Amino acid sequence: MIRSLFYLFVFPGFIFQIICGLTFEWIDRKLLARFQRRVGPPWYQPLADLIKLFSKEDLLPERANDAVAALLPLISLSAVLTAGLYIPVAGFSPYSFEGDLIVVIFLMSVPTLAYYLAGIVSVGIYSILGGGRSLLQFFSYEVPLLITLSGPAILGGSWSVAEIMHAQVELGPFIIYQPLGFILAVVGLIGKLKRDPLDIPKATSEVVGGSLTEFSGVKLGIWHLVMNVQAVVGIFLLVDLYFGWTKLANPLTSVSIFIIESLIIAFTLSVTSAIFARLRIDQLAGLGWKVLVPLALLQLGFVILMGV
Amino acid sequence: MDKISIPIGPQHPLLKEPLSMKIDISGEKVLGGSLRLGYVHRGIERLAQQRTYVQDLYLIERICGICSHIHTTTFCRAVEALLGIEIPPRAQYIRGLMCELERIHSHLLWLGIIAKHIGLDTIFMHTWHDREMSLDIMEEISGGRVLHAVNQIGGVRIDLDQEHYEMIRRILKKLHSQVEGLLDVFETEPAAMARTKGVAPLSTELIKSYGVVGPIARASGVNFDIRRDDPYPPYDQIDFKVITHSGGDAWARTFVRVEETRESVNLCESILDNMPDGEVSVRVPRRVPEGEVIVRSEAPRGELFYYLRSDGSDKPARLKVRTPTLSALSLLPIQLSAINVADIPVVLAGVDLCVACADR
Amino acid sequence: MDRIKKRLTILNAVIEAITNPPETVDYPFGELKLPDVFRGAIVINPEKCSGCGLCVRDCPADALVLNKESREEYTLLHYPARCAYCGQCEDSCRRGAISLSNNLVSAINKKGDLVVVLKDCQT
Repeated sequence: MIRSLFYLFVFPGFIFQIICGLTFEWIDRKLLARFQRRVGPPWYQPLADLIKLFSKEDLLPERANDAVAALLPLISLSAVLTAGLYIPVAGFSPYSFEGDLIVVIFLMSVPTLAYYLAGIVSVGIYSILGGGRSLLQFFSYEVPLLITLSGPAILGGSWSVAEIMHAQVELGPFIIYQPLGFILAVVGLIGKLKRDPLDIPKATSEVVGGSLTEFSGVKLGIWHLVMNVQAVVGIFLLVDLYFGWTKLANPLTSVSIFIIESLIIAFTLSVTSAIFARLRIDQLAGLGWKVLVPLALLQLGFVILMGV
Repeated sequence: MDKISIPIGPQHPLLKEPLSMKIDISGEKVLGGSLRLGYVHRGIERLAQQRTYVQDLYLIERICGICSHIHTTTFCRAVEALLGIEIPPRAQYIRGLMCELERIHSHLLWLGIIAKHIGLDTIFMHTWHDREMSLDIMEEISGGRVLHAVNQIGGVRIDLDQEHYEMIRRILKKLHSQVEGLLDVFETEPAAMARTKGVAPLSTELIKSYGVVGPIARASGVNFDIRRDDPYPPYDQIDFKVITHSGGDAWARTFVRVEETRESVNLCESILDNMPDGEVSVRVPRRVPEGEVIVRSEAPRGELFYYLRSDGSDKPARLKVRTPTLSALSLLPIQLSAINVADIPVVLAGVDLCVACADR
Repeated sequence: MDRIKKRLTILNAVIEAITNPPETVDYPFGELKLPDVFRGAIVINPEKCSGCGLCVRDCPADALVLNKESREEYTLLHYPARCAYCGQCEDSCRRGAISLSNNLVSAINKKGDLVVVLKDCQT
């Protein structure tokens, strides 16, 4: 009982993921700042921003539904935190079961739907526009992502993330067999996290803040946490599916390898953010269905042939 | 989907200065828009009538922050024309040098803004870092980054020595290589090209019927530049190219401005090479004889037009300023029909707003 | 090939940015270099000032005020909040008494500091 509470709330649950989320936000902001020749924020900045947001006044327009607007970020946060429980962190996953990859993918798409609903429920012109765009973007990247993520499952012979990770001990990291799949998965992750170049729902120049324009205070703070934890859970998922992890004799080395693999993906995300411009929504739809889906199907076909 | 109307401004992340637009959209298509100015109106023309010519110089400088030097240069040219004096050639060349440096800084600022609006934050920061180089030159020469206060009626207040020349040439060489890289980035970045090519094209007839000037007109094929067609010193003694493009869309405007920046860097070097020696100012009387005069200059955004009438005292009787942004803004409602919502920032940035200039 | 090289320009810029120190100055902990011609706070050389009032006449912002009783008794006041730091007073003064130094003008804490007495020879 005490053990499961520890797993749920401390490691690899609530507190660990939130700390990882804040660390990822710091790494991302610092890297982006250094790419732009700026100094960048100090290490405690994301935590300070969170505390500041929690202490602010919480307002919504008059016609907005306060109860639903308060529930949506909490549901999203619980969804991503639960998704994180099934993903092995440095090989440690207390709750994994067969088929948890499907559950993880499903739970990770709950925040996107909640983002759309948040835009509708906080009645404001920019929120509605941003919410609609996020749903359009969802359709464009989710299908290639699902097809791509089936690749490691077929190669690993199981639908459990922990099993796929263990399968790479003998077969080698899956990125060698499906480099195209890795690139497509990173693109899908960028779309899910709504980062540059796919931050169309949040494009500041056009829709001032997207769905979250009218949010403030505790609700906005929890939304920020949702974004960060979603990023961390996505990174850990990609590390487990494509890089794999083996338990070496020295536990410190094993943990460091996991950290380095996660940092590589975080670095890739930041560099991609820095060097690409934002797409238009119709260009994204064209890209998603005309380029990404055929490539994903090609990669899947390749994987099936190799399995045979 | 039914029509909704989104307000852009007076406060909006897109706008540096307050402006009020109401844009009607349906889904992701823009149907049209209406514009309202006047938020930055300070009554400059009326204030100018209540101050002497010497005091007016600093008032005129503060009409706009980005193109402040060209406003004072045009004003000084108008007063000197009424006084009937010729300023020494070295002063004209120093004025020309500051004008070209200002053109570089204004175009690099604009490039950063359009990069930021299409999502290329990194290019925004890098472009503004390059702009800092030209601001450094202006600060070393005149003491101010944005408000230089270099002109006085009868010449300029500063002089350049050998150390200044070396510093300017050194920084210009660095700036040259940076600007070369900028066009490369825009030409090859697929998302940037996709966002600007074919967006809001303007035909030559539309440009001519609305009287639009500056890089926007030159991007639609109108080959007109005051520096060449109605020249004032030092441009009548130096060779330079006038950049035009026949596309008329947002990409053409980007191209024209980046190439103009390159040309300005070359012009700065030519001015330094041909700088004559001599004094930098002459004494002028305080009272300006009666008369009226019209003076035109090429500001970074187009043709700047000054009308000055004097009644013999030491205060102007009437000063009229027509800035280039005003004519570009008149085209905005037309540009806004038949584009997507995502193109609004590109169109707005392509106009190169300087609302403080337009409102005075 | 040329196109690929051009495409890598932005990647080069990004790598160059991260391998060099940042360009922003961490003021006030970092050092700020101002050029000599920077137009900062107004200083006066009281011996040279004769109370002629040319600077007052030419100031565009009415930041200089001369209270003149007679040729020998006058007070020259300066209002830093109104001043535009343009330097016209320095140009108008025929004796070089008033000039703009290189120092930054800082914010004030007391309302009395809104007026700076430059020269006072009233008895």
